[in-house]
Amino acid sequence: MADTASPEAPPAPPPSQDGPAAQPLPASQLVMAVALAWLVPGLGHVYLKRAVRGLIFLLLVIIAVGIGCSLQGNLYRPMQGQWLSYLATLGEIGMGVPYFVLRYGLRYEGQQEAAGFEYGTAFLLTAGLMNLLLVLDAWDIASGQKE
Amino acid sequence: MLSHFLLMVVYALLVSLYFTTLWRRERRAQIVLFLQLFLGMVGGGLIVAWLMYPFPPGPPAPIP
Repeated sequence: MADTASPEAPPAPPPSQDGPAAQPLPASQLVMAVALAWLVPGLGHVYLKRAVRGLIFLLLVIIAVGIGCSLQGNLYRPMQGQWLSYLATLGEIGMGVPYFVLRYGLRYEGQQEAAGFEYGTAFLLTAGLMNLLLVLDAWDIASGQKE
Repeated sequence: MLSHFLLMVVYALLVSLYFTTLWRRERRAQIVLFLQLFLGMVGGGLIVAWLMYPFPPGPPAPIP
């Protein structure tokens, strides 16, 4: 029986972990997905019809914020002459609406003398950075680069 | 809630779950990545803590 496959045919690429890429969405929907993803953790994924994933992300980010606040972690704000505070503020603003609710709604600041201050700060920073990654993920999904 | 080890485990759990959900779709691949991340973070933390054990603690950091 003759083998019909060419010996020089390249091997099939391994299946991607992200699955097949979806069709790119129009620019307006892409912007909406990215904006929602930043404003409320996981909402961008819900908008892109990945509701379960979005809810898991929402839960994880909110738990991280809750633990960070219960430990009295630092909710960064820009401080003159301390350029790292700008970077940290940017990172925490990444959590979206929760940052502004904590800062302006609840007047939360954190307590430097608290025993869990450092850990709490790590949780709050992580929550912001996790949501920033979710924004990029929503961008990838909306632009058809990821399933 | 102020146990260092417990907080490290909770942190590792959250981050592992997050990246597992973000990066993997298939259940088996998710479990493998979760275990790699979770055990890597907790185990790595314990190893670093053990390596630092012989070093004497410095003076407490001043509160600015």
